[in-house]
Amino acid sequence: MKISLQGIKKSFGDTAVVKDVSLEIPCGEMFFLLGPSGCGKTTLLRMLSGLIDVDEGEISFGERRINDVPANQRNCALVFQNYAIWPHLTVFENVAYGLRVRKIAEPELRQRVMEVLEQVRMSSHATRKPTTLSGGQQQRVALARAIVVQPDLLLFDEPLSNLDARLRLEMREEIQRLHELHPITSVYVTHDQEEALSLADRIAVMQGGVIEQIGTPFELYNKPENPFVASFMGEVNFFSVKNSAIGKKLVEQTSLPARGLIGFRPERVSICTEGGISAKVEHATYLGSKNKLSLKTETGEAVAAWTQDFFPAGATIQIRIASSHLLHYPDKESP
Amino acid sequence: MIAFLLLGLAAFFGLFLLYPLCLMLGGTFFVEHSVGVNAAGKAITAHVFSLEYYRLVFENPFLQQCMINSLIIAIGTTLGCLILALPLAQLFLKYRFPGKAALGSLILVPLILPPFVGALGLKQLFSRFGSVNLLLEQLGIVNLHHPPDWFGSGGFFGIIVMLILHLYPIMFLSVQAAMANVDPSLKDAARNLGASGWRIFRTVTLPLSMPGIFAGTALVFVSAFTDLGVPLMFEFQTTIPSQIFYFVSQPGSPTGLVLVVLMLLLVGVVFALTRLFGQGDYAMMGRSATTTVEEPLRGFTAILVPVLIGGLILLSAIPHLGVILQSFSGKWFMTVLPEQWTTGAYRDILDFPLTVSSIRNSLLYSSASCVLDIVLGLTIAWLLSRANFFGKSLLDSISMLPLALPGLVLAFAYLSAFSIGPFLSIKWLTPRSDPTLLLVIAYTVHRLPYMVRAACAGFQQTAVTLEEASINLGASRLMTFRKITSPLIAANLAAGIILAFSFAMLDVSNGMILAQEEPRYPMTKAIFALMGRITPNAPSIACAMGVLAMILLGISLYASSRMMGKSMGRLFKV
Repeated sequence: MKISLQGIKKSFGDTAVVKDVSLEIPCGEMFFLLGPSGCGKTTLLRMLSGLIDVDEGEISFGERRINDVPANQRNCALVFQNYAIWPHLTVFENVAYGLRVRKIAEPELRQRVMEVLEQVRMSSHATRKPTTLSGGQQQRVALARAIVVQPDLLLFDEPLSNLDARLRLEMREEIQRLHELHPITSVYVTHDQEEALSLADRIAVMQGGVIEQIGTPFELYNKPENPFVASFMGEVNFFSVKNSAIGKKLVEQTSLPARGLIGFRPERVSICTEGGISAKVEHATYLGSKNKLSLKTETGEAVAAWTQDFFPAGATIQIRIASSHLLHYPDKESP
Repeated sequence: MIAFLLLGLAAFFGLFLLYPLCLMLGGTFFVEHSVGVNAAGKAITAHVFSLEYYRLVFENPFLQQCMINSLIIAIGTTLGCLILALPLAQLFLKYRFPGKAALGSLILVPLILPPFVGALGLKQLFSRFGSVNLLLEQLGIVNLHHPPDWFGSGGFFGIIVMLILHLYPIMFLSVQAAMANVDPSLKDAARNLGASGWRIFRTVTLPLSMPGIFAGTALVFVSAFTDLGVPLMFEFQTTIPSQIFYFVSQPGSPTGLVLVVLMLLLVGVVFALTRLFGQGDYAMMGRSATTTVEEPLRGFTAILVPVLIGGLILLSAIPHLGVILQSFSGKWFMTVLPEQWTTGAYRDILDFPLTVSSIRNSLLYSSASCVLDIVLGLTIAWLLSRANFFGKSLLDSISMLPLALPGLVLAFAYLSAFSIGPFLSIKWLTPRSDPTLLLVIAYTVHRLPYMVRAACAGFQQTAVTLEEASINLGASRLMTFRKITSPLIAANLAAGIILAFSFAMLDVSNGMILAQEEPRYPMTKAIFALMGRITPNAPSIACAMGVLAMILLGISLYASSRMMGKSMGRLFKV
């Protein structure tokens, strides 16, 4: 189902948490809300679920305005950060709960629950109590519980943040697979940009209650509209065009206006033999697939660079950055 | 919805807590003065603010003696409990010794033994012509013409000993919990800097566990000061609680009111002092991951320590052993042990109209108060932990207020508030005609804090997201409460219910004061009434009732601790 938000505002007491957010999410899209903690992304998600009220603005599922529809009648399933698996019910009963609420007859209910448990590879645990399950298994049950009711909208509230790194990767693939199996319109909240880049159809980056930029993962990473988005999506070097020697030099190789902020991502740094910017390696960290270098230019400016070749600390190298990889914000003076 | 609930609660607390208390306070400060004569020659009177009644009480030498006695009883009991509890807590915290787990639970046994029943047994064993003196006489140590008076001055020491034996587990629980909370790394730091064991205890453990020790001290002090059952059992008249009970039969008299207000004042001061001195804010310090390592005791001490603790437990059970002996005795007069053994007393319980009606009454009062407690406790706990409204902290304080309210005070306030004016015509609200409702409410109000606490703990353990997940999947609020919330907090509720029920069954003060006619007596008052009977087997029947009461309380406390699955200490905190 298509979801649309128009001029959504929300305050808690005197603090405005969401300030005028508008969005359109087409049917079947995996949409991400990405931002640092306190940016209002979870509040936005909870307003979609109806667990908190909207102060101003309009939320519609399809053509239907749902501002005043109570949370239990919205047919949007939420996957919680702490799983929220009921400890007193078995895995089967946890998943069956939503179907029982919807008064689905026993044979169909049994079939649907087992089918979805099969899909999340938990059917052998159906009769177990959730307290005996690991975090990853509980999250699978939570996924099954949300999907089984065939919701109009699936909501994910940082579902992987309580899992360890390896499980997180595994569950990411799991969610991708399930989304291909059940192409339900989904809104996914996270602060992990890697999670967003790998799973999202589109991402909205939020900060301070407003959306900074909406786009595909490629657009957000490579064409960030402002320094905040640029640095939130990945590491980036920024220099003032006016006050920094590198900034001036970088702008000179292009036809960009000579003001504002200019920058590049560390992996865009290439090594050349002459005509580049001369810099000394201060620290070098060998990471196997790449090398992280902390460089210092002759004018004393710090540059982070990721290179394929290893250079030990103390070495002097020449670096250059292709014009097409430069990020330029003429109206910003500082990141 | 919330406004509706709050209104209901306000009405309840207003009528059954604030109104009686305020009326009682007012009654002691306003004195009726004649301010002139009317045309018919009758005196016109007006109520004038005055401390007259207080002056009268303070200048009465007999009442002065009562105050001194009650203070000595309370201070003596508190000191006794501290002397027992501090080393016990240290032993349990630091060392591992044989039988530790069993002794740890057995040490709580005195808590479940109603102290006034214990007093009954203590008297049987230690009175002038009790078993101990008779035994000593047979051994040629004591001359029965001048038997030693173990209780001293008419039962005074007996009261203190009985109260210590009953209350030291509360102190033990508070102190142990506080000491266990002291971060072991702080003690390690002191040891690392060269401090010895005793120095560490004095400079680190003791100061850091002060809040818990203060809490235990306040609880024991107040319980000892306000206990009515034990002095009554020893027929010791010169204490404040005994005098308050005596003034029940003179409802118009302001002296009783003044005594109750003074008692309330003292309790208030004690709890205020606890708040003031007992709250070191050490919580801000991050706790290290180290845990206390229990050292095993070796050699002689490994035997001595459990034997000493076992001995103490046995000692505190002696009064109740006396009760059990008496309940099975056919004839027991001037002999060390009963001459005949019989279960007749237990059969007689079923024949005596007083015992039968009292058991029925107790069951009725207690179960009705439980139902009311559940309704109120759940409502308040839900409001406190799940709703947002103005005046939340006020509701919190009011629902916890009964913790600081001795049973005697509330019962007396009810008696004086509902025996006058507009209430006289409402039969079911006047204690003299029918105390049922007031007793039920008095029990309810007294145990409400425990119920609220238990339910709040349940709500807090149940993450809000568990309820949100249910709503999110389409369930209504009611269905969510039925299917998700209540099963999850059921254990806590059950524990609260059992506590409320058992305390109501064994309450002394409310029953003694509010139930005034024999057919309305609860079990506890029936036991007292039986003790006063001249019928030869009345004391045995009373003891049999006491044994019944102990069994009941024991079972319910055990069940509730199993259901709570947590240390019982939490339930006895201020």
